Amino acid sequence: MAVTSLALRRQRLTFAIGAVRQNLARGPVALPQPLAYDARMASPAATPDRALDTLCSELREIVGPSWALTGADDLRTYECDGLTGWRQPPLAVALPASTEEVARVVRLCHRLHVPFVPRGSGTGLSGGALPSADGIVIGLSRMRSILQIDLENERVVVQPGVLNLEVTRAVQAEGYFYAPDPSSQRVCTIGGNVAENSGGAHCLKYGFTTNHVLAATLVLSDGRIAHLGSACLDAPGLDLLGVLIGSEGTLGIVTEVTLRLLPQPEWVETLLAAFPSTDTAGEAVAAIVAHGVVPAAMEMMDRATIQAVESTMHAGYPDCGAALLVELDGPAADCRSLFQAVEELCRAAGATEVRVARDEAERALLWKGRRGAFSAMGRVSPDYYVQDGVVPRSRLAGVLAGIRELEQRHQLRVANVFHAGDGNLHPLILYDRKEAGGAERARELAEDILGLCLEAGGSLTGEHGVGRDKMCQMPRLFSVADQEVMDRVRSAFDPHRLANPGKVLPTPRLCGEHPGIYRPHPAELAGLAERM
Amino acid sequence: MSAPRPTELAQLAGAGLEVTESPPGSGLPDGLALARPRSEEEVSVLMRLATQHGWAVTVRGQGTKSAWGPDVERCDLVLDTTGLNQLVEHEPGDLICVAGAGMRLSELQELTSRAHGYRQRLMLDPPGSDAATLGGLVATRAAGPLRTRYGTMRDLLLGARFVLADGTIAKTGGKVVKNVAGYDLDKLLVGSLGTLAVVVEVALRLHPQAEARESVLLEGVDSATAAKFLIALRAAPAVPSVAEALWPEGAVLVQIDGTRDGAIRQAELVAELDPRARVLDLAEASYWEEVLRNRPWDRPGVVLGVSVPLSATRAVLDLVADTAIQEHAVALSLRGTIGCGELRVAASSDKVEGVRREVERLGGQVEVHRAEPELRGLGSRPRDPLAGELMAAVKQALDPGHILAPGRLEGLYQTAASPIAGAAGG
Repeated sequence: MAVTSLALRRQRLTFAIGAVRQNLARGPVALPQPLAYDARMASPAATPDRALDTLCSELREIVGPSWALTGADDLRTYECDGLTGWRQPPLAVALPASTEEVARVVRLCHRLHVPFVPRGSGTGLSGGALPSADGIVIGLSRMRSILQIDLENERVVVQPGVLNLEVTRAVQAEGYFYAPDPSSQRVCTIGGNVAENSGGAHCLKYGFTTNHVLAATLVLSDGRIAHLGSACLDAPGLDLLGVLIGSEGTLGIVTEVTLRLLPQPEWVETLLAAFPSTDTAGEAVAAIVAHGVVPAAMEMMDRATIQAVESTMHAGYPDCGAALLVELDGPAADCRSLFQAVEELCRAAGATEVRVARDEAERALLWKGRRGAFSAMGRVSPDYYVQDGVVPRSRLAGVLAGIRELEQRHQLRVANVFHAGDGNLHPLILYDRKEAGGAERARELAEDILGLCLEAGGSLTGEHGVGRDKMCQMPRLFSVADQEVMDRVRSAFDPHRLANPGKVLPTPRLCGEHPGIYRPHPAELAGLAERM
Repeated sequence: MSAPRPTELAQLAGAGLEVTESPPGSGLPDGLALARPRSEEEVSVLMRLATQHGWAVTVRGQGTKSAWGPDVERCDLVLDTTGLNQLVEHEPGDLICVAGAGMRLSELQELTSRAHGYRQRLMLDPPGSDAATLGGLVATRAAGPLRTRYGTMRDLLLGARFVLADGTIAKTGGKVVKNVAGYDLDKLLVGSLGTLAVVVEVALRLHPQAEARESVLLEGVDSATAAKFLIALRAAPAVPSVAEALWPEGAVLVQIDGTRDGAIRQAELVAELDPRARVLDLAEASYWEEVLRNRPWDRPGVVLGVSVPLSATRAVLDLVADTAIQEHAVALSLRGTIGCGELRVAASSDKVEGVRREVERLGGQVEVHRAEPELRGLGSRPRDPLAGELMAAVKQALDPGHILAPGRLEGLYQTAASPIAGAAGG
């Protein structure tokens, strides 16, 4: 190895870090701006218009004219995902039908330096599928075949557009299920689940998407097709699949996924316990954990949520300060006595009522309120924003008290519904965008709640992802060095930053003016100025 | 670029950093500088120096797995992590703990199972690895029979702090079970054999210890019976913590953890799956526990990690049974309901390659977990060379000077027939 080349490389690295530091001095955020992002515009060979014509006509050639969308009305359908606050129509939408077509579309993007955004059903809540103004959307919704069901080996091979619930439906008659069950499971796709590392109500016990994927076919941003993982455990070499899952479409496009199936548990039992307050319900949660029980699910709803759910969908929830939904599954031999223990622990913590579902219909009713909590909120408040923060379970009570204070300060109501077992909070901030400053106040409150989570040692997001929505919040959790390491890994997969650019990792262009975290001005540090 | 003398290294690193010569009996070359940092800052200083001087660094915990994976091409100094052994946090209510990467597994188990009112532990039991450090378990992804229920470090690691080759201190993940902020670099560190970064601190998920354990044994059966029993077990109303096929005994040992009544009831149900299966009494259970804890590390030979599709379970057992007739070295401990385990064979390249070919034919793959240096590179490679190329790119991005265990990662993805361009670095 030539010593000079090492020195040069180090110099470049130092330069990059220097640039990051400079950016920090200007504002809170972070990484050097991707170079290739604007390269199309800089290309002297073609004017943007001509480049767009080339792009659209070649897209039509690859996927067929009916699957390349370029009309303004069609594009508007793709301008946002489940987080509707961020909108941006793309240049075009391609709907390929095979790995080969995806690879050809991506090769075209690579040749023309056009960024691309992969998209499943668009149910994401962090703007992860928000288009780039100068890029295209690659929709995977036509790739929805289950390619192989191999029960002997407890696995299935699916295309990315297969809906989450379809996997379980395809194997449940044989006694199997696919464990990750995000609440959007009726409509969200496996490709999207891989991008977001989706969990669901049962992930405390069963883990996340990353624990259930064995292999994936990945189209890299230069159009090459890589096969990661293996049909059985322990694929040789680095666990690239582990990094890919949860990378929010920034490392390439997944076009085939091998999933692990699990045998259905013999026994499932669900109860709903009513408590005077979230604090007493929280005590029950702590007692259940201390008892050594790992429930399949443990969900809490506060009074505001219960009232909204009752007024809209009549799930029959008791009128109380907090409701705790606990589900146990496993071998009947073990679960029966544990379930009894859970019932007793709930009563000991102050439960005023404990309802046990007697059959599948009653269980569905108990879950109905929980699963429908978000949409119920949509009917009682003109607008709402769902926050997705995580706190260590033991700090729940303190953080909920903090949220109540924030409600007072911002003069907005917050309804709390969350996965109590894993500390994943979903405060719903109720506001009216027609009120002056309403949206802005809701956003501030949402950010303040994240602050509480981070102070308690938690995380920015438990399951909705960083996407565009929280990209500029990343520096609150990750240092410049942390982000730089992620960016280095990203470069290894996508050196030209074409795969879903402007997501997850902050860029000065997109985050430069964001207020972000408070950092003292140099003048303050020098004692020349102070903040009031 | 020549290896630093210990005194030289101590001087360059400044006061405080403990530097000695490699101790005799450590298996390391004589006179090699061995640095034992006590903080991530010291690790960072050391790595910056190594980058400046182009020193090749081997990261080492207790050295229990130093014969795991491809051998390094060169080593100018050893970074001993055992000084990073503090318990940073144990929050029993959250079932998590945070500890230095140099802490021993046994010490962590001791500390976490002692916390008042709780009985919890890290559900990892790699055989013969009580002395192993947490960092070493991250680097190797070593696991044992409990993997059947609890997975490996991949499933238990919540976050980590680490130092890159250039001295950058960074973190990934956090200390909460549910977290999707940023890339999941934890996964990249697990199984990377010290080739990407020096892990200095880990946050781990703990599990409650069950009230009771019951064991069921099916003994002296052929591969067909064992495989059939394991298929039935997968569908049985029981959740085993351990379901291990042990060869050459021709035995399947099932351990069930649960409530006192629940464990015994499940054990009875499992025993009903085959007329020869029976619930063990305490003395027998502890005898088999002992077998489980050492297999297949207890005798000399090459230890291979094998993983196969579940449908190939019987074929793997046959492979072992056939070889075992001619050879005393052969022993197997296979997690029979998830298709992976460890196999001991005689230390010859013919034997290792023979097993690898056969396992690959069954759709599986082989890792080398213990072998003489010349045999350590004989494990399976990624089937897709492009996957290997991406691994090379990740290595290049994080350790551009190729100073962390040079050659080891390359040995995991490179094939003699198609060396991957750029893998050897600048």
